[in-house]
Amino acid sequence: MDFVSLFVKDFILQLQSPTLAFLIGGMIIAALGSELVIPESICTIIVFMLLTKIGLTGGIAIRNSNLLDMVLPMISAIIIGIIVVFIARYTLAKLPNVKVVDAIATGGLFGAVSGSTMAAGLTVLEEQNIQYEAWAGALYPFMDIPALVTAIVIANIYLNKKKKKSVAAQSIKEESLSKQPVAAGDYPAQQDYPSTRQEYRSQQQDPDDNRVKVWPIIQESLQGSALSAMLLGLALGILTKPETVYEGFYDPAFRGLLSILMLVMGIEAWSRLGELRKVAQWYIVYSVVAPFLHGCIAFGLGLIAHYTVGFSMGGVVILAVIASSSSDISGPPTLRAGIPSANPSSYIGASTAVGTPIAIGVCIPFFIGLAQAIGGI
Amino acid sequence: MAKQANKLVIVTEKVLLKKVAKIIDECGAKGYTVMQSGGKGSRNVRSSGQPSSSDTEANVKFEILTENREMAEDIADKVALKYFNNYAGIAYICSAEVLYGQSFCGPDGC
Repeated sequence: MDFVSLFVKDFILQLQSPTLAFLIGGMIIAALGSELVIPESICTIIVFMLLTKIGLTGGIAIRNSNLLDMVLPMISAIIIGIIVVFIARYTLAKLPNVKVVDAIATGGLFGAVSGSTMAAGLTVLEEQNIQYEAWAGALYPFMDIPALVTAIVIANIYLNKKKKKSVAAQSIKEESLSKQPVAAGDYPAQQDYPSTRQEYRSQQQDPDDNRVKVWPIIQESLQGSALSAMLLGLALGILTKPETVYEGFYDPAFRGLLSILMLVMGIEAWSRLGELRKVAQWYIVYSVVAPFLHGCIAFGLGLIAHYTVGFSMGGVVILAVIASSSSDISGPPTLRAGIPSANPSSYIGASTAVGTPIAIGVCIPFFIGLAQAIGGI
Repeated sequence: MAKQANKLVIVTEKVLLKKVAKIIDECGAKGYTVMQSGGKGSRNVRSSGQPSSSDTEANVKFEILTENREMAEDIADKVALKYFNNYAGIAYICSAEVLYGQSFCGPDGC
């Protein structure tokens, strides 16, 4: 009962916190059809500021801390990133009306980390005066990159297998098809277009055309706007002394900018909801359950680190929060390029419309409540 | 005087910006113009001004002037084959008359 009351208390507190309030506010005004638009370039700069601040905090902290403490949480982050994709592959992908590639892409996105969710989590921990390792934000890439790489690799392995199977079947079909007259006669563009395309196809059939290369995926994630901002902050924090700009600019502006980003995400979540409804309903179930499941796995692994190397309970909460978050800034373009045949409406819809609000609104207070019940912080 | 040319227009997703640009270069076009765009097509309304924290919703429009039709078709074929099954996109050719442009008409003008 102790846990339940703590959780309920936290949840109500969280509802009143600016982070969630702006998120819900965004959803409400979008639902009411408001014309409010925050320019995209402002979102870009906000994401840059938030992640640079997280990077700087981490970098400054790493300078004064023992790097060995980071190893176990880091390994946990990598394991979670990979496991999450396999969970989606063997649960979501088996459900009716769900295409396997879509499911894998969704898993990849849910395994990847949302910078804004992490920022919200850090803010709530600070508001409640819960101690955590300042470098915990630096766990971000260790979960983000493995998840995206795993998703893209297993999706391509799956597609290649499927292709090999269908090539055999197609060669038989093609003969019978070529004898059929073209049915779409009233569609003039189609008449000569397919023939050139097919000619091209046959010329372009490279046998190793579809082999997945892991390095470009890693490179692309590192070059993404969110991660490069964070890594830059991290490097500057470690190598230079950015304390003056940090205290004068990045730190004070952090919460205000986060509230704007939350508003945008609320509006975006609402506008994506309609798109998600068009794909299978199971995505909604998955994106409600998955953040909890992933967070609990991370919480378990974090607890192991807590008891063995003294990873703080605040750090465990952060690990759980980043596991329950789903990428919304850098993940989608990477997946779009890596698994082009997956339907972006399904995975971006699942993540933005349901996954992120659940992670921010429910998972953060849930894991803080859990940590308080177990660790007594 | 004006010089006859083909204007190839490709409207596609912004995530493909660099990849399409690479194909255009490889096919030997002398240059191209890219602009942000948006609109409605088979894949719903794109870039309609909805707020977005990632770039997956944005479109770009390429305009490429080529001297011969073959090069324009070559570019369109390569782009369409590689990407249009999985990405939003359309390609069309218009005829154009170039009046000024050093790279296209040479230093003496058209």
